[in-house]
Amino acid sequence: MITRLAPLFLLTASFALGAGAAAQPTAAAACPHCQETTAPAAKTGAAFSKESIYQLDARFTDDSGHAFTLGELRGRPVVLTMFFASCGYACPLQVTDMQALRAQLPAGVRERTTFVLVSFDVVHDTSAVLAQYRAQRSLDGQWTLLHGTDDAVRELAALLGVKYKQEADGMFSHSNVLTLLNPQGEIVHQRIGLKGGLDEAAAALAAAAR
Amino acid sequence: MTSFSRLRRLLPTGLVLAGLLAGGAAGATATAPSPARPAADPAPVAMRRIPAGVYVPLLRTPKDPAQVHVASYLLDERPVTNAEFLAFVTAQPHWQRSMVSRLFADSSYLENWAGDREPGVQAPLNSPVVRVSWFAARAYARWVSKRLPSTAEWELAAGAGYTRPDGRNDEQLNHDLYAWLARPVPDIQPAVARGRPNFYGVHDLHGLVWEWVDDFNSAMVTGESRGDSGLERDLFCGAGSVGAKDTTDFAAFMRLALRSSLKANNTTTALGFRCAKDPTP
Repeated sequence: MITRLAPLFLLTASFALGAGAAAQPTAAAACPHCQETTAPAAKTGAAFSKESIYQLDARFTDDSGHAFTLGELRGRPVVLTMFFASCGYACPLQVTDMQALRAQLPAGVRERTTFVLVSFDVVHDTSAVLAQYRAQRSLDGQWTLLHGTDDAVRELAALLGVKYKQEADGMFSHSNVLTLLNPQGEIVHQRIGLKGGLDEAAAALAAAAR
Repeated sequence: MTSFSRLRRLLPTGLVLAGLLAGGAAGATATAPSPARPAADPAPVAMRRIPAGVYVPLLRTPKDPAQVHVASYLLDERPVTNAEFLAFVTAQPHWQRSMVSRLFADSSYLENWAGDREPGVQAPLNSPVVRVSWFAARAYARWVSKRLPSTAEWELAAGAGYTRPDGRNDEQLNHDLYAWLARPVPDIQPAVARGRPNFYGVHDLHGLVWEWVDDFNSAMVTGESRGDSGLERDLFCGAGSVGAKDTTDFAAFMRLALRSSLKANNTTTALGFRCAKDPTP
């Protein structure tokens, strides 16, 4: 049956992914059921661009215990990846690559860039654990380490095209994606996978930071 | 050739499957829908209690749990309708078709609607809303103080037959399911809750539209593994050959393939959703 039908289905395979022009979102309406402002899009009063991931109204906490929304990163180039502190393989490599990327950036861009790690592990990666990770990896003030609710993490991952799943042993399987944001919070480049691509990433970030 | 091995050959071509799944859904009835009428306040959808149970993941790597224990939860007895979604976009205008950010819904979002606040003849009020993104589905669920079901929850409910909780050998259900899979997508979706309810009293888990689940982005069969087939090889050649729960459950493979090929802002002609909720203690 499948073989017979497959060609027909090919015709419908076109997911439209393109960007489209549309009006600015209005402020989120209050939820009549729960009396809360909801939905990821359109934070009240924030005029983020239509392509800015800072439209995501997700709440995080940094490693010093302060509440953090992604919109606070606005105005600076950003290099962001999702990780978890107990990760033994891919995540340390990602952090090492972010440090290497930093070294490759032109001086004027390097000082302005923020490096962000957001944890998949909503249970174990508390602010204290992230602070410890910062110390272990000698990450200075240009690094922001975040953890969040399951909702916040899942929505950010979805927005970045990152897939993840917790395994039986508590570790996470996840895509390795390094995302570069311009000062408006728009994705300008993504490095997929673990190897290479740093020159291209550095060039993309430098161009976006201008 | 078994359907499993056929699917195995098809899986690397994620887009084909995405199309297969987008195109594979059809309605259970061929009756013409009644013309749209002005929106009344839709009656709240009834929720059915799904008892605690065990979901056996379809495919697993050696690291995956063999079984997932699912707590009892409440599930909408039918998918969300156009009328209900209209109420949502009316209350939250930034989810209207012309207002939404492309980050959260692609350009075919609600494309079958006549206008921002007008489902129109292609989207009858009592038919399931389709062409909605995961972000939109999630936002709707929050708006009604519910959530999307997880994959394990959805599959547990959908595993029921018409007359018993384990539907694997329910011949009538399987017959109806495969008849649906073989039909093309109708231009206009038929009304919800016309299909026979399953053992738990839930309609349309099979036979109407595909449905978003909250953790769709945990399905990693394709996606980034299209570029690097390592994970796929782990799943299908190594662990997969012994790890597949039931290689005859072709519809479940299709759902897995759909989830793994979707992005959160994608919308398709036959992809809707329903909401879930934790039971009140």
